[in-house]
Amino acid sequence: MNIFSLDWYLIALLVFTGFYCMLASRSIVRQLIGLEIISKGAMLTVISAGALTNNLVFAQALIITMIVIEVVVVAAGLALLVKNFRINGSTDIWKLNSLKG
Amino acid sequence: MDKGLLSYILIPLLSAIIIPFAARNRPRLADLLANATLVAGLANLAWLALRPSVISGGFADIPGDGLSLLLVATVYLVALCVTFFSAWFVKEGMPNRQAYYSLILVSVAAMCGVITTSDFFTLYVFVEVLAVTSFALITTDESAGGIEGALKYFFLTFPASALIIAGIAVLMITLGSLSYENLHIFMSSDIPSGPITFGVALMLLGFVIKSGVVPFHTWTPDAYQGAYAPVSAYLAGIVTKISGVYAIIRIATLMRFFDGRAQALSGILMFLGMLSIAVGALAALRQKDLKRMLAFSSISQLGYIVLAAGLGTPLAIMGAIFHLFNHATFKTVLFLNSASIEKSSGTTDMDKLGGLEHSMPWTSWTSIVALLSTAGVPPLSGFWSKLLIILALWESGLKVYAILALLFSIVTLAYFMMMQKKVFFGKKTPASENSPEVSAPLLAPAVLMSALIVALGLLFPYFFSYVRMVAERIIL
Repeated sequence: MNIFSLDWYLIALLVFTGFYCMLASRSIVRQLIGLEIISKGAMLTVISAGALTNNLVFAQALIITMIVIEVVVVAAGLALLVKNFRINGSTDIWKLNSLKG
Repeated sequence: MDKGLLSYILIPLLSAIIIPFAARNRPRLADLLANATLVAGLANLAWLALRPSVISGGFADIPGDGLSLLLVATVYLVALCVTFFSAWFVKEGMPNRQAYYSLILVSVAAMCGVITTSDFFTLYVFVEVLAVTSFALITTDESAGGIEGALKYFFLTFPASALIIAGIAVLMITLGSLSYENLHIFMSSDIPSGPITFGVALMLLGFVIKSGVVPFHTWTPDAYQGAYAPVSAYLAGIVTKISGVYAIIRIATLMRFFDGRAQALSGILMFLGMLSIAVGALAALRQKDLKRMLAFSSISQLGYIVLAAGLGTPLAIMGAIFHLFNHATFKTVLFLNSASIEKSSGTTDMDKLGGLEHSMPWTSWTSIVALLSTAGVPPLSGFWSKLLIILALWESGLKVYAILALLFSIVTLAYFMMMQKKVFFGKKTPASENSPEVSAPLLAPAVLMSALIVALGLLFPYFFSYVRMVAERIIL
């Protein structure tokens, strides 16, 4: 087994860990952590692709931009979680059911 | 990046930075700055595209590929309608007026970035910027519904971005570059395209989730219903269309779906489009809340665009682009009217409303124009785009899809007629007893858009020559 396929096994493992984390927990905070794990797995794919094609400089540039964007998105998401906790008083995802039709 | 249109990204960004400082203690200045920026952009675009010399030359000397110009104009138009509406809709005491306009302008800049970019990574960057501004815009009024809608949007777009990143990685390995140009050249050659199609399929899945096509549509009605009223017009009219559907159309043209090199992908996309049309229309039939019904109708109309993009022939792409534009016009009218109704009578529950026809004649009539255009009734613009899509389907031998698309167009008419009957016709209910017509500035955007719907329907031959030029440039 070469390094490349090992990379992608690990990435798959990471992504499935993230999805399990999202499925198994009811708390929004934990689900956000699960999402973070998934997106870290996705970023590793870019690094692995850069290493395979001998183009790590390009991959590095992409990854740094992605990390910056990730930080902004997660900050916005955390703000939503905090606001939700202030309004509803709980972090349970199953209680978010006021909009139905 | 299309450098000719760069200023349409930078000027709204600059304005978004200036507004919080210049208008800190003067809320009216914030209205003025935001509207002035967008009006200036629209005037500039009109000069670029509608000069008599350009029209008589068959739109030959338009910068870029024409599609970007058309969509930038759509973005500016919808954003102008929404900011103009908000200037009178947002209550005086609202603390974050400046932030609201700032966010709208940043999202205008991000949408122009999405439209004018020419590589997948920049596309991803701008789509994420757009998503962040949308979360903040949905929660403008800090209501429980807004937070819930925004959270659901957040939890579904985040995995979609991860899929897009994975698709980018696969493209890096297989294609070695992320630019549209290289993908297009590769797909025009005869080399087997298996792994590249896989990478593009991953990205396509991400964009399908972001645009809310049916199996992944669950966030759409919640986000539109919970959002602050003018923001839901903005989201439904343009934001989710640009962040998802535009990318789908772009990928469909780049992958050259019409010459059958990525047939499985094209087939799946068409199936999802048809499913969206059906599920959206059938779910809209049984909604009780006006905004939620409009959201399901939006999903159904989105299905037509995805169906046409999945087919990918020049005629279908023409139909998809034209329907994208039409969707922006009629959905903005309907959502702005629902915001007017909410302001006037205090509710959007269709069972509580009734008989608003006499007290709100303008709102009622603009709604009728918009809903007839959505359902595809002949003289209006929606008819032409649906006709193009159905003709393209019929020409390619997909008769079942063509007939189903036609039938669900009738279902569209049915649920809109039910909406119109419940809300505007019939007897007055207690909730709509004291609901006067909203003021003229609040009606102006809806009237403008309705005039545009009628004008485009009647002047279709001119517009058709533009859309044909666009389709020829982006496909060949």
